[in-house]
Amino acid sequence: MAENENISVSFEEDDHRAAFVFNPEDGQGNNTKQQQTARPAKRRKVAKADAPKLQSTSAAVAAGPAFPPLFNGAESPDAVRLRRELFETVWPHVLREANRTTLDEVTAFLQQAAEAETGKITAGFIITGPNIASQGLLFEQLAERLCTATQAAKFVRLRASEAPNLKAVLKRIIRDATATRGAADGDGEGEDDVDAEVAQGGRKYLDYDLEALHVFLSRQQKQQSRRVVVAFQDSEAFESGLLTDLITLFHSWRDRIQFDVLFGVATSVELFQARLLKSTARQLYGAQFDVVQANSVLESVIKSAVAGTQAGLRIGPSLLRSLVERQQDQVAGIQVFISSLKYAYMCHFYANPLSVLLAGDGRLDRQLLQPEHIEAVRTLDSFQAQAEAAVGARQLNHAQLLIEDDEYLVAQVMELGQKRKEYLTQLLRSLHLAASTGLSSAPFTDLYILALSSGIDIDQSSGTLPLEDAVKRLSPGELISLIDSLLSAIQTGSPEIGLEGWESDAEEFVGPLTDLRDEIEGLIERSKSNGTALKSKYSAQSRVMRTTVVAQKVQLSQDSATLTDEDKAFTKAVDTLLGLLSQNLHCDPVDNLFLHEVWVFDSKSPYRDVFVPRPGATFGRALARPHDYLACACCAQANGGLESTLPTTAILYHLYLEAGALLNVADLWSAYYALVGDESDVGLDERSALVCFYRGLAELGTMGFVKPSKKKADHVAKLKHWTVVQRRPKANSGRDYYILLLAATRRLQHNTRRAATNPAFHAKLSQMTLQLAPLVQLTTGAIHPSFPRTLLAFWLLTDAQLDALAHFYHQRTPGPWTRQYPCPVSWPAGLGLEEKRRKLGRFIGLRGCDSPSLGVVVLENGVGEMLGRTEEEIVEGARRERVRRGEEVEEVRRKMGWF
Amino acid sequence: MSGSLFQLPDELILTTLAQTFPCREAQIRALSTLLYPGAAPCRNLVIYGTEATGKSAITAALLTRLSDQPADDGFSLQYAVVNSAECITARHLYESVVGKVADALAWDGPPSRCETVSQLTVELAKMLKYTTRPDGFRFVLVFDGIDRQRDAPHTLLPALARLSEIIPSLTTVFIVTSPPPHFLLTSSVPHLHFPTYTKPDFISILSVSPPPALPNTTAQETADLWARFTAAVHDALARAASRTLPSFTHACTALWPRFTGPIHAGTHTAREFSKLLVAARVHFQDERLLDPGVLALALTTTTTTTTIITPTQQQQQQPKKEPNNTTTAMANAGADLAHLLPTTPRLLLLACYLASHNATKTDLTLFSTHHHGRRRRGGGLSVSGGGRGRGRPRSKHRKIARKLLGAHAFVLERMLAIFAAVRGEWESLSLSQQQQQQGEEVLLQKGDADIGMAIATLASLRLLVRVGGTAAGGDAMDCGGKWRVNVGWEVIRGLGRGVGVEVEEWLID
Repeated sequence: MAENENISVSFEEDDHRAAFVFNPEDGQGNNTKQQQTARPAKRRKVAKADAPKLQSTSAAVAAGPAFPPLFNGAESPDAVRLRRELFETVWPHVLREANRTTLDEVTAFLQQAAEAETGKITAGFIITGPNIASQGLLFEQLAERLCTATQAAKFVRLRASEAPNLKAVLKRIIRDATATRGAADGDGEGEDDVDAEVAQGGRKYLDYDLEALHVFLSRQQKQQSRRVVVAFQDSEAFESGLLTDLITLFHSWRDRIQFDVLFGVATSVELFQARLLKSTARQLYGAQFDVVQANSVLESVIKSAVAGTQAGLRIGPSLLRSLVERQQDQVAGIQVFISSLKYAYMCHFYANPLSVLLAGDGRLDRQLLQPEHIEAVRTLDSFQAQAEAAVGARQLNHAQLLIEDDEYLVAQVMELGQKRKEYLTQLLRSLHLAASTGLSSAPFTDLYILALSSGIDIDQSSGTLPLEDAVKRLSPGELISLIDSLLSAIQTGSPEIGLEGWESDAEEFVGPLTDLRDEIEGLIERSKSNGTALKSKYSAQSRVMRTTVVAQKVQLSQDSATLTDEDKAFTKAVDTLLGLLSQNLHCDPVDNLFLHEVWVFDSKSPYRDVFVPRPGATFGRALARPHDYLACACCAQANGGLESTLPTTAILYHLYLEAGALLNVADLWSAYYALVGDESDVGLDERSALVCFYRGLAELGTMGFVKPSKKKADHVAKLKHWTVVQRRPKANSGRDYYILLLAATRRLQHNTRRAATNPAFHAKLSQMTLQLAPLVQLTTGAIHPSFPRTLLAFWLLTDAQLDALAHFYHQRTPGPWTRQYPCPVSWPAGLGLEEKRRKLGRFIGLRGCDSPSLGVVVLENGVGEMLGRTEEEIVEGARRERVRRGEEVEEVRRKMGWF
Repeated sequence: MSGSLFQLPDELILTTLAQTFPCREAQIRALSTLLYPGAAPCRNLVIYGTEATGKSAITAALLTRLSDQPADDGFSLQYAVVNSAECITARHLYESVVGKVADALAWDGPPSRCETVSQLTVELAKMLKYTTRPDGFRFVLVFDGIDRQRDAPHTLLPALARLSEIIPSLTTVFIVTSPPPHFLLTSSVPHLHFPTYTKPDFISILSVSPPPALPNTTAQETADLWARFTAAVHDALARAASRTLPSFTHACTALWPRFTGPIHAGTHTAREFSKLLVAARVHFQDERLLDPGVLALALTTTTTTTTIITPTQQQQQQPKKEPNNTTTAMANAGADLAHLLPTTPRLLLLACYLASHNATKTDLTLFSTHHHGRRRRGGGLSVSGGGRGRGRPRSKHRKIARKLLGAHAFVLERMLAIFAAVRGEWESLSLSQQQQQQGEEVLLQKGDADIGMAIATLASLRLLVRVGGTAAGGDAMDCGGKWRVNVGWEVIRGLGRGVGVEVEEWLID
């Protein structure tokens, strides 16, 4: 009900916008009135209050909401109304007929089983296929059918999600079975339901006691049956224990309430039976019903509603192909197909002002066509093509008139209906003929799509449907049967696609065909009397290799096999037939037609957005490239990369993509603050940056990207493994690297703040936690595992480690690589530990390790000023290395991962 | 009270009952003695025996007749039968007891709730003890199948056995399959055993209702043939496969049309029993007939598989014959399952299997293209190496292949990631198989909604199962939710080969 009411609420401007930008800060500055308007109205309540008023007042609105006028509101109300009427009349209201045979069978079976008195529970197994969506419709129809049958039975539908245990199922069965009548007969019976529970001297039954149902059924009128049909809609999803319990229970109640059960089976009855106990299976008296195969339903729906003559709007080839493919690849039921069709109709008539031109038969008159319509016609692609073709064909007058003279164009447009009809008739007739030849194995749907997209042409080399060879290779007998089937196809037409026989229209085709048939029959007779088999130039082995032995040499000669006169005549007949076929089996692709946009809808994008929404990918893309949606000038140069002017959440998303499975929030914050903080060009102060950061992180959490983790303190877990793969922009990587470096120093500062109470400790701490950028081995690019990552680690190196490091970096044993390092050192044997440490310090570029005389004192004293420079030096050295070896900067980033 | 101290009920009742239930005369007489108020009524009675030996039916029939008997000799009997199969909870049992006893006594007091055994005792005592009844009155309360009562408290049976101590005019009858010793926790309860039928019993029971006369045969000849036939069936099948009366009856009725086929055809007469037996020998060796199929009309309706037939399946299905009998149908069931699904759900199911059977730590090795540009496929090696068994034996601590173990739970998001990683490769495999050249465009069109639908379908087919605490109420599409694949290795391998994927290559042990 709520949905119906909501339809009548007029749409707002915002409803059709693709993207919203929610900006709470705007609202704060202005007055409260804006906030009120920003809040959506409470539609449900309002609609209810208005409902009686709406019913009484507006007869015009009763038909539903009006379409909005197009052309920026310039469209006349008449045209709008006409579009709406067209939509109502043209939509073919497909298709509740597909399940009819199944329904009949099931009803008949239940009826017959009720009379058979088997002492078992009647069970219908309806094989629906894996389509959950189609089961719903089927069981709805079954409920309708069985309730309105002569012996009205109570119908209870059960879905596995509603039936967790036995009690709940029984409750539901009792409630539904007792409520059916109350709902059908009106309010008066509602009290009866209550009575049923307290029947028999006020005894109150438990709500899962079938006795209550029994009492209810026995109290009702005599003519009503005591049957209760329980339908298990998705029987696979029910627990087998529950099913067994229920069947046993029904069986024991069988003498008082007649239960019939129906199972919707997605897989097979054998699998179903395997889940039941044998003793339970013995209590069932079952029959299997196959719902019509899904692909044949699809075919018949397409034949009648898409391809048939009564379909007003044509679904274009690419859209149709994607719809059909979706049916084959995905679990999408025929309902989805039908609603997709309806959506296409709606889109066309709702949004295409030219759809009024579809109205024929006097409903479309000159007054209706506004200048805007004519202007719109002139913008069409097919108009352009037509004009160009006219110019090309030297019909300059026609082209000029088309472009300049409105009335001339209108006259052309008015002919549209006729042309469309002619084209479609030709198309369908060709298709029908092609299908009735039986030479092409493609199903009708494929043929139809092919014909729409690229036309039909049976030419062997260039045609879209190369039948020529197949026809040529036919034997005379097959050829006659082919002609027969063509003739009968012309005579009867095809009721499925609403095509009537067109014998009277096609005399110039039928006449020659009959003549040909007679001729071929005569030829067969004659060749039979001659004792030879009739063959054509194409079917016979036309060339025969002959070997002749002449003077002990083998001569090879090619002779064309002799064709008798009959054979030649037959060959000629085949040629004639091919000529006839290529004349009649022919149509153009739909794109070639003038003004086909009016009656062909071939746009995939709204369909895809509505029926195959991709929230994950959409979120990912929106966060990765927000400027595409925001269209702000500031972020234009980001181009999918990281930029400080991006929205907070987008920045965090980018950083998120870089991270591993667990994110350290402190790292994330410092990286973020480095990007937007005081020193950057955005220049947020810490408090407001923190606010933005919190909000962004909370938004990421809401969107399901992160969640709190218990594995590590201060970390959040990454939830999306499956993020949209981004090409990392290489131009920005140097900058990113810089940011990460900055983030590391920031973290250092955080630590120092903690130790601020003791200045000496602080100094020592900051000195010892100074991070050292590692050096890579020149030959492999690897880093030694014991390379000191901090200054503290440097001071903790052991003798063996020092030796290993020196060896690793080619310093202990001089070689070709030794001098290639930025600061090579000599490493003679027999050095002391501190000597080695000093040499290594020099090697990795620590200042103060240059000569033994300065000693370590300098190092310790100069730490404060040394920090920045040392770091830069190291970085610079490392970078020089890599440039020299042609490494990509990308590699650097990967290795700097521990920051 | 008139007559002697010990008086059996009317002999007529017993004889008619014995005719209705052949081969049960001893039990009927014992039962009537133990129940009839004039004879030796007991307080509690346990009737036990296996399935389908006539316990419930004989008890109910006897009680009906005894209660219908005119009370001219001063004895009157009322009864109520409560079937435990119909009672969902213990409380349901109590309330139906009260309701049925009230019905039997035509009690018109206000009904009250009855939640515990003590309340039941109060209610029953109100109706039976504190209401004055004639001297020869007895009430028999039958609990049918009380050992199968759902949600029964463990004190239920002893408590019910005490009812008759509190209410003297009550006899409680328990009908159970096989009573454990001393299960009522009370002394000297008479037990009445209903033994299983023997071969002569079976034959005489079935001879009571011979099938309609065959063509060219008198009814007597048919009955004779039927008797010999049932004996033959019993020898062939009953000892091994169908010990109970219903299954034996089922076997006889199922075999009878086949056995008498030659008579219908006119090739043999009803007197040539041995020839008929030889002709129908195949059926007597075939135990499939004893399997109670749920389909009664399976022979009339042709089984066609309802599938969305994609081109690949069409090729595969054409050579396949219609499943004619049950065994081949069962064998095909797994394969059919694979054919039922469209392409995407199949791939999704494969991805689920990989997610369930590969450890998380190996994901990077299997699915990452980061280092090598191409995914490295592991697996297969250790499995085949273990299976070959050539050379010297490997280490003693051989691990069991993961695919032989049960499926592990996986996080939905991880499965989706795996699916995204392998989908491109797999889909190109299945596409090249179908000689479809659309390639790229097809891949791009697919989106989240369809995957959600496919997951929902797999879940509703129970191929994919939600695990963990939120299984009942949680949002199905919650990416943090845990799932488990519910199909075995054989099915998955078939499914994988159907789309051209060797699943073994993607498993790491």
